[in-house]
Amino acid sequence: MSAETVLPPDLESGPTDEELVASTVKGDLGAYDELIRRFQGRLYGVIYHLTSNHEDTNDLLMEVFDKAYRSLPTFRGQSSFYTWIYRIAINRSFNFLDKRKRRQGAMSLNELDEDGLPKLDLPDVSPQNDPNKSLMLNELQNKLNESMLKLSKEHRTVVTLFDIQGLAHAEIAKIMGCTEGTVRSRLHYAHKQLQKSLGIYLKK
Amino acid sequence: MSQKEDFSELQKLLRLKRLETPGQEYFNRFVDAFHTYQRREILQEEPWYAKVVEVLFEPWVAGVPRLATVAASAACLVAGVAFFLGPIQSGTAQLADGKVSHPRGIVVAAAQTNASLELQPELIETAAGGEEIQDRPLYVNGHNALAYDSRLTF
Repeated sequence: MSAETVLPPDLESGPTDEELVASTVKGDLGAYDELIRRFQGRLYGVIYHLTSNHEDTNDLLMEVFDKAYRSLPTFRGQSSFYTWIYRIAINRSFNFLDKRKRRQGAMSLNELDEDGLPKLDLPDVSPQNDPNKSLMLNELQNKLNESMLKLSKEHRTVVTLFDIQGLAHAEIAKIMGCTEGTVRSRLHYAHKQLQKSLGIYLKK
Repeated sequence: MSQKEDFSELQKLLRLKRLETPGQEYFNRFVDAFHTYQRREILQEEPWYAKVVEVLFEPWVAGVPRLATVAASAACLVAGVAFFLGPIQSGTAQLADGKVSHPRGIVVAAAQTNASLELQPELIETAAGGEEIQDRPLYVNGHNALAYDSRLTF
């Protein structure tokens, strides 16, 4: 049960996240732009897989980077910037989901805005050339999103971070502020739930 | 791991969600869009109390207030009422004969001795000038037990 591991951004080439944070605090706005470029894809993924809506994800992503920028002077470096900004993204998304739930009740799956879903970006498959395949992929995408939305936000988060983003249990535990045991147990429960609802799409 | 707990196929399926992205063009434009967003936010910055109002009233508008919101609102209401009505005990003073004077003109017997915090039956002076024994004080003020005759009108 292993997921593809994604290297933390500070192991990539160029200045580390912490160096960029220090430069930003000193007033180098270009350094913050670089941090945005490093994290925009991953944070978009986290927020999107929690909300299942592109417009909401876009708004929340702006808020997250804005909130992080304003809070940078208070960032003490007790955790890595990577963990810290992930935590902001997840907290903001949770607040948003709570508000949405209070406004709409539990989000009806029939109300899932299919126009709000990003189109599948499939480099190797060309759905335009095969309408049946395109149809099936869309159906699968909707079914996957429906099943994810049935999970609690905590379970959805561990699935997103582990299965989709490929983070390690320890990293997820740091981000979510819980133990690795809790992460494993949430993951196991979520997998069982998803297996139940997606069973017909899985090979026996 | 039992057959039932093999999630490898499920995990392969979940990895498909990695392909759900808005496209590179979106990310290429994101930094510029963020700068625009930041400028707009600075121009439209709300006063500090707007956040307080939002936190307090958003759940009510949504129709399902959280317990914490209800409790916080009740506490604010009580604090507000207490602030405008003034402190109930302000102006009380210990008299030479051991009684306590109250700003509303009621003299109350202090029943507690210095040696013990045990409460004793209270000797109350009524508005009519008479005295009577009351067994249970209505409330206790720190070290001095104060009892009010509930029949007196304020």
